[in-house]
Amino acid sequence: MIESCVPRLCFEQGTLTLCGVEKRLVDRLWHQSPWVFDSRVGCWRTDAMHYQAVAAVLHQRLASDWIDAVADWKPIVFPRQNLHSLRTDQSEALSAWLRTRRGVVVMPTGTGKTEVALHAIQQVSTSVLVVSPVRDLMYQWHDRILSATGVDAGIIGDGVYRVSPVSVTTYDSASIHMPRLGNQFEFLIFDECHHLPGQMRRDAARMSAAPFRLGLTATPERRDGEHQVLDEIIGPRLYTQGIKSARGKTLADYDVIRISVHLTPEERTRYEALGKTVREFIAKQREDTPNYDWQALCSDSGHNPSARAAMIAFHSKRSIEDRAGEKLRIIEDLFRLHTGEPVIIFCGSNAMARDISLRFLIPCLLSHCRKRERQDILAGLQEGRYPALVANRVLDEGIDLPEVNVAIVVGGGSGTRQALQRLGRVLRKNRYGRACFYEIVTANTRDELRSRARRRDEAFQKIKHEEC
Amino acid sequence: MLTKEQSIAEFDFQRQIVIPDRLVRRTHGHYLAVVEDLLRIYQDHVGEVRKNLHDRVRRRLQDVLDCPTRRIAAFCKLLDDSSEFENTQSADAARLRKRVFSQAAKSHPLVQTSDQLFDRDEAKIKAEIAHDLGMTWTMIEASLFADVIEFHRLRQAPQDLDATKLLARYNVAQTQAALYPALSMTVWASDDFKIVLRYAKLARLMHSISRNGEEYVFQFNGPASVLRQTRRYGVSFAKFLPGLLSARHWRMHATVLGPAKRRFALRLTSRDGLQSEIHSQDFDSSLEEAFFKDWQQLQTNNESNGWNIAREGTVLFRHQTVFMPDFLLSHPQHGEVLLEIVGFWTPEYLREKANRLRQFRDSARIVLAISETANQELHELDFLKVTFKTHLRAKQILALLRSEL
Repeated sequence: MIESCVPRLCFEQGTLTLCGVEKRLVDRLWHQSPWVFDSRVGCWRTDAMHYQAVAAVLHQRLASDWIDAVADWKPIVFPRQNLHSLRTDQSEALSAWLRTRRGVVVMPTGTGKTEVALHAIQQVSTSVLVVSPVRDLMYQWHDRILSATGVDAGIIGDGVYRVSPVSVTTYDSASIHMPRLGNQFEFLIFDECHHLPGQMRRDAARMSAAPFRLGLTATPERRDGEHQVLDEIIGPRLYTQGIKSARGKTLADYDVIRISVHLTPEERTRYEALGKTVREFIAKQREDTPNYDWQALCSDSGHNPSARAAMIAFHSKRSIEDRAGEKLRIIEDLFRLHTGEPVIIFCGSNAMARDISLRFLIPCLLSHCRKRERQDILAGLQEGRYPALVANRVLDEGIDLPEVNVAIVVGGGSGTRQALQRLGRVLRKNRYGRACFYEIVTANTRDELRSRARRRDEAFQKIKHEEC
Repeated sequence: MLTKEQSIAEFDFQRQIVIPDRLVRRTHGHYLAVVEDLLRIYQDHVGEVRKNLHDRVRRRLQDVLDCPTRRIAAFCKLLDDSSEFENTQSADAARLRKRVFSQAAKSHPLVQTSDQLFDRDEAKIKAEIAHDLGMTWTMIEASLFADVIEFHRLRQAPQDLDATKLLARYNVAQTQAALYPALSMTVWASDDFKIVLRYAKLARLMHSISRNGEEYVFQFNGPASVLRQTRRYGVSFAKFLPGLLSARHWRMHATVLGPAKRRFALRLTSRDGLQSEIHSQDFDSSLEEAFFKDWQQLQTNNESNGWNIAREGTVLFRHQTVFMPDFLLSHPQHGEVLLEIVGFWTPEYLREKANRLRQFRDSARIVLAISETANQELHELDFLKVTFKTHLRAKQILALLRSEL
C-alpha cells in the first residue's frame, strides 16, 4: 500500500502519529525513542509536544522523504504595531527568550510581563494562543492584543468557541480543547504558568505541537514540587527577576496595617455555641476512638446525623468569621479615612463580597459578571466614576487593576502565593504615593491564625523590618 | 452529569474495587418517600430562588440517617437538571447594578453613623435611589443579583419525573461520576455490538476489538492512553455509560484510579439493573425489519434451506474502522455469509458505504442486497448481489445462495 512507502507524521487528537515506518527505522533514528507503537491504529504515537524535536530528526535523517501533515498554522501579518518600548529588564527577558523561543520568564506581577509577551508575539509573527488562568485575564489579553496589534483575537472559553489564528483562552478550556486545537498554533503563551503543572491542565501544553512556547510567572515554585514539569512542557527558566530588585523601582512603597475586629456579643455567643457543638462531638468520639480527627468526622457525616450537625456547625463558624458584621463597620471607617482615593476590597467569599456591595452600594466583581460589566467596573474605578470596588478570588491573579493606593483584604484563608499575588497588584507605583494595605481579620478566631501564617512569608517579613 | 463534589463511591482496598453509591429498594426503601417529598418541594415552590430550594431539600434530608452531604448535593443537581429556571438576562441585572452603583457613587461612603463630615446615611440614600427607580428597596435588593445562579428562580418543576425514575437517574449518575477517574474500560458483549460501538464512537473513545467465540471483547480508551495512564477520557466513559446500558447481554470492567494512586476495578453487567433512559432503535430501517420478519417466517416453516439468520452478529474491523453487516446467515455445511442491505441513501453515504465494503471485501463472504437506485450509483461494486425495487424478499437471497454456493 502507498501509505507504507513514505513515512507520514500526523496530528491526531493531541498526539502525533507516525505511519509507514518500521520498528527498525524508529530504532535507528531515535536513541531514546519518544514513540510507542499503537496497535489500535497500526502506527507510532507520541505526545504532540515532541513535534519540534521529532520533525528535526526526520528532516535531518530523511531529508524530504517524509510527509509532514502536522502544522495547520500560518505566519501572521499584524495590521499595526503599537507597543511601548521595553525597559532594560524587559528587553533582557525578551532577548533571552528569543534565543531559543522556548522557556519561562519569571518577573514579579506589575513589572510588565504582558509587554514582553506582546513584543514576542510581534517578533515571531505566527499564529499564537495565549492561555491564562481565569476568563477575566483572558479578556484582558484580548484587549491588550487588540490595542497592540490591531487583531481582534478569537476567544475559547467562557461559553465562547471562536477560534482564529490569534486566540486567547483559559487553562481549563485549553486542556479540554487542545486535542482539536493542538496543530493550529505555532506559538503558545502560558500566563501565570505556575498553574500549568496540574495533572489535567498540563495536557494544554502536552497536546499541542507548537514549537514556540513562552511561560510567564511571578511565582514559579509550587508547594507540590511539580514546577519542574515546566522545564519539559514549556522549556527551561530563561530569565528571573526577583521581587526584591523590583521593589521600589516599579512598585510603590507600602505599609501593611492589620486590623482585628471582634465579633458582636450575639455573633460571639453563636460562634462559641457552634464551637461547643464541634468540640463536644469530637470529645465524645475520642472516648472510644482516641485519634478521632477531622477526616473521620467527614466520613462519619455520611451516616451519622450528629457528625453531620458538627460539620454544619463548623462551616457556620467559618461563615461567622468571614462575614462578621464588625468588618463592615471597619470598612466604613477606612472609607472615611481615604475619601477621594480609590479603594479595592478583596473578599474570601462571594457572600461577603455581596454583603459589602449591598451595604455600600459599590460594584462587586464576581464570576457572574460578563465582559462588558467587568470593563465598566474597572474603567469606572480608574475614571473615578466609582469610588471603590469589591472583588472575590476572581481578581486573584494578574488582572490589570486601575491604580489604587488603598487595598483591603477581608478575612478569607489563603496560601502564601495568593497573598503575594494580591500584594503585587495592589502595590503598583501610582500617583498617590505611598500605598496602604489593610488586612481585616476576626480576633480570637481561626481567621487570625491564618493571617499569622501568611505573615511568616518572606515578603511580609521584609515589610515588617522596614516598618521598624 | 454530577460534579466530582457530588459523587460518592466506596473504595474497597481489600478487594481493590470501587462501588458507586446506589440506592435500591432493599436497603434504601425509605428513600422513595423522601424523594417524593423532594419532588414536591420543587413542585410546590415554583418561583422561588435556587438557593432556597436547596435549603429546603437540605432540611428535608438533614434527619435522614444515612444521607451524606454529597448525596444531598447530588439530589439538588439532579432536580435542577430536570427543572427549568428563569434565566434573568444578566444584562438586566447588570444594568440595574450600574444604575444603583453609579447613583450611590455620588454619596460615597454610605455611613450608618453620620457625623458632620459624613452625613450620607445608608438608609436615606437607599430610599432615595428606590424612589428614583420607582421600586421599593426590597425589590431592588431581590433583583440586584438575580443573574447569580443561586438566585435564579424556578420556572418549571420537573415534569414526568416520579420518585422511582429520579432514584434510577441518581444511580446512573453516581456510576457515571465514579468513572471520571477511569483509565480504561473493557466490555464483553454477546449482543447489540452496533449499539456498544456506536455510543463508544459518539463518546470519542478508541477501541481494540477481539473475538472470543460468540462474544466480542471491546477495549476502550483514548489516543493518549498508550502514552501514559491518563484520566482525561474519564468523562468520555461516563458519557458512554447510558448508551452501554441500553444494550443487552454485556459485562463491563473499568479500571479507575483511586486514592493513593491505586487502581480499582468498577464492574457492571447488563443484569445489574441500572436503567438507561436511552432506548436504542431495534432496526436501522423498516426495510430491514420487514426482511428479518420475512426470513424468520421462512425459517419457522422450514423453508430456509438450513440457513439461520442473526442480526448484526459479526463485527469486521481493521484498526479504528468497523463494519457490521446487517445480518449474519449461517448454515451447518456452508458456514457463514454476511448480508448487507444497501437501501435508499444520499450519494455521500453511499460512497462512504462503498469504501467500507471494499475495505472489508476480503475479510469475509459478503452478499449485498442493493436497491436499484443505489445500484446505479455503485454499479462498479464487485460483490455477489441482488437488487430490489422497494422490498427485499428473503427468497431472493436464498435463490442467490443456492446458485452461488
